[in-house]
Amino acid sequence: MRLARLRLLARAVLQPRIAERELEDEIRFHIEKQTELYVRQGHSRHEAFRRARIDFGGVESAKEEHRDGRGTRSLGDTIGDVRYALRTLWRDRGLAVAGILTLALGVGATTAVFSAVNAVMLRELPFKESARLVSVWEENPDRGWYKNVVAPANYIDWREQASGFAGMAAYTDYPTTVTLTGYGEPTLLQATNVSGNFLDVLGVRPRLGRGFEDADDFDGEQRPVMISSRLWRSILRSDPNVIGKSLALGGRKPWQVVGVLPDGFDFPLPGTDVWLPMLWGKDYRGSISFRRAHWMRVVARLKPGVDGASANATLQTVVKRLETQYPKTNTRMGAGITPLREWIVGDTRTPLLVLLTAAAVLLLIACANVGNLLLVHALSRSRDVALRFALGATRARVARQALTESLVLSGAGGLAGFGLGWLGSRALLQMQPTGMLPVSEIGIDYRVLGFAVIVTTLSGLLFGLAPTLATTRQAPAEALNAGGRTFTGSGARRWGRVLVMAEVALAVMLTIGAGLLMRSYEQLSRVPPGFDPNGVLTVAINLPGARYDTSTKIIGFYRTLIERAEALPGVERAAAARELPATQTSWSANFAVAGRPPSEQSADIIYREIIGDYHRVMRVPVVAGRTFTEADAGEGVGVALINDVLAKQYFPNEDPIGQRIAPDRVPDSTTIWRTVVGVVTSEHQASLAQPARPEVFLPMPQNFTRRMTLVVRARDGIPPTSLAAPMRATVRSLDSLLAITSIRPMTEVYRDAMSRQRFTSVLILVFALAGTALALVGVFGVLAQLVQSRRRELGIRIALGAQRSQVRMFVVRYGMRLVAVGVAAGAVISIWSTKMIATLLFGVAATDWVTYVAVALTIGTTGVLAAVVPAWRASSANPAQTLQAE
Amino acid sequence: MAREPETTASDVLRGTLDLLVLKTLALEPMHGWGISQRIEQFSKSILDVNQGSLYPALQRLEQKGWIDSEWRASDNNRRAKYYALTAKGRKALGVEVESWRRYVSAVEAILATS
Repeated sequence: MRLARLRLLARAVLQPRIAERELEDEIRFHIEKQTELYVRQGHSRHEAFRRARIDFGGVESAKEEHRDGRGTRSLGDTIGDVRYALRTLWRDRGLAVAGILTLALGVGATTAVFSAVNAVMLRELPFKESARLVSVWEENPDRGWYKNVVAPANYIDWREQASGFAGMAAYTDYPTTVTLTGYGEPTLLQATNVSGNFLDVLGVRPRLGRGFEDADDFDGEQRPVMISSRLWRSILRSDPNVIGKSLALGGRKPWQVVGVLPDGFDFPLPGTDVWLPMLWGKDYRGSISFRRAHWMRVVARLKPGVDGASANATLQTVVKRLETQYPKTNTRMGAGITPLREWIVGDTRTPLLVLLTAAAVLLLIACANVGNLLLVHALSRSRDVALRFALGATRARVARQALTESLVLSGAGGLAGFGLGWLGSRALLQMQPTGMLPVSEIGIDYRVLGFAVIVTTLSGLLFGLAPTLATTRQAPAEALNAGGRTFTGSGARRWGRVLVMAEVALAVMLTIGAGLLMRSYEQLSRVPPGFDPNGVLTVAINLPGARYDTSTKIIGFYRTLIERAEALPGVERAAAARELPATQTSWSANFAVAGRPPSEQSADIIYREIIGDYHRVMRVPVVAGRTFTEADAGEGVGVALINDVLAKQYFPNEDPIGQRIAPDRVPDSTTIWRTVVGVVTSEHQASLAQPARPEVFLPMPQNFTRRMTLVVRARDGIPPTSLAAPMRATVRSLDSLLAITSIRPMTEVYRDAMSRQRFTSVLILVFALAGTALALVGVFGVLAQLVQSRRRELGIRIALGAQRSQVRMFVVRYGMRLVAVGVAAGAVISIWSTKMIATLLFGVAATDWVTYVAVALTIGTTGVLAAVVPAWRASSANPAQTLQAE
Repeated sequence: MAREPETTASDVLRGTLDLLVLKTLALEPMHGWGISQRIEQFSKSILDVNQGSLYPALQRLEQKGWIDSEWRASDNNRRAKYYALTAKGRKALGVEVESWRRYVSAVEAILATS
């Protein structure tokens, strides 16, 4: 295009008012000059002006021609279309708001959930050729182990003998902390122990320095440590010379920084800041505990050209060999592999897929609703459209107008949806139960956002544009004569009814799913946990091994701490246990009873060390015998408590008190025997959804551990959280360099045990409520439309003496039919769709009829409510007015 | 409203208006009213410019880049839009005049027979 033309076009587009004003000025000037000419020729001023105007011809048509000449006609039309669309939408505010909210909900929910799914399940793991990485685990049917932690000696044998793997590394994923001192306040850092080849197997290069070496597996003179980029930036202030520096992380020997890991590297757990070597003793390899204690996770890389099945076969060969070689520890000890990605996603997979499905269903409802709303809108405007045809508008022009309207709507809705999706993905990450989404951030997935916007826009176009065009097939005169009474859009209206029924059905399906999850959550929260979480504060402590290197020091610390805690005002009693009930981690071992032949199978009994009267603090009743006393503190006769599950299982017809038990399957001369002195009722150790397991309690003074959690019972009427500050002060008064791992009320620990179920069911419930609301808006829209289109008929009926209540019932019945069909269809789909959440349910069947009936009744009743306003409007029509309005 | 009967002038043919405008502007820059006056004067009042079509024609020529416009003060200090011929316009005028002459002689030749 020529420059001049471009310039004019640009001016006409950018400054249409200026172009217009210039034209007016030019024409005015012309007419003035012509008027002057006529005045000079002797005409009166008035006559001269009249003649000049006549000479010029139609000023407006000249202007119009000039405007056409500017070449901005189609653009001007578009702007006009947008303005017109905004105006119609504004006139129909209720519909516009409903439409935008609908779109925002559908687009926002899908975007947020899919972004989370993408971040957790679909993203490429930040490792080299991550598809070739597998997690290797142990299993033992006797002990109920599956995907279990691995014994170090077994790991070393696999690594050396299984030929299908290019490398096999070990790491720990149980909570480990170290305390960093020397940089201000003592800081508690999340740590993990990893084998020397850890980075090599993952294919990750440190950003600074080096990774560990095989030699680092064993404790030497220097203790190397790798740190996260996060720690390097924050506390170490991005020190470029950090490599080789010493860090005070506790321990007798200094820790030396050898490497800084890349940004965002958080394997195995989000939030890990310190990677420590295994630090095995040189003599560990031969000791039996190296093969008996299972505590490591193993990640391996498949050899190039070897697939998972073949690699697994080489692993099985080694497993068989170890079983015959070490019968005492490895009988029935199997192993298996899982792709690493699947391993990391773990049991988040089902809840995420359920959430994703729920969001997709919500998007479907949103699509149907937008379609339905635009359909109603289009039908109500069919007379208007006919008028425009009569005035000479082309079909394309009218279609473009309808298109603009639905694009304006979806643009606004999409924008709102983007905002909602952004907030939603952040909220998901913030509110998720710890560890459910194993990622540190969720980016908005723009492909999904785009997809959701396009899908909703298309459905809007399809359902909104189609009826508009359908009306165009009618002769304008006919449509105008019909006066908005009847439409050729009856086919389109049938579509509208189908859409609404589909919406209701999908909403019912969502709500039944949410109902089942809520009911199973309720069932879960009714499970007696076996302890009383109310009024108890928990204080988790992990003593550093360097300064607490003897049992005397460790036991002394906890004894004094409990004494001082009990001396605090407001504290009724305090005790400590290695682990709290209703938390995930637990340590287990075998079991033997003196005087009985060794069991054929391994057992999986939980052993927990306690100090003080733990059961009294937690209000766990004692069934028989006694709890531990001061006398049990000595090194003399070993004693133990058992829970009633263990008592029932092993001593069904005997008195367990006085029995001697041991943590080995086949006792030998090294076995430590303990006498059962009491039986207590059971606590749910791992989670509330799993039954209580057999458990043995040992007095800590006879079996010490550095990691303990204090349980402090507050006196009646004193909130346990008010004890947090005095407990902190008490710990500091005992050891000012000690960082407390966590202080939380026991009620919070207990609630966390149900947090995943709560999180999933609350989210689905939110989706279900949104879906139901949308479906009701749909029902309302169809009925409002019905009343609008039948106003004349209803007016005549009333004029002829129909009761207003009859008219109301007519509308309500119409609505009820729609809702009833939708509810029935939704219930039928649910019988099939709830299979998906079956594994998430607890104590309630997927076909729980109570839920089905409750949901059907609730949605049915609210459906009637949606019919109330249109029904009232129909019956309140003044017949005279309605008929005159035609 | 009907045109006044006293005028005997005929309307400029639409296609030739561009040519006449270019020719007028070849003499000096001029505003729209001036152009219409000049055409009437030169044609000894035989040709009457339909003023409603003058401005679209000016716009058309400007878009072609044949003429240029600027706002200037006219006689007693009123602002008027003056149009001037560009170099390109001058070249175009030559071509247009040439083709007009060919057209006229062709029409003449036809009219001259019989």
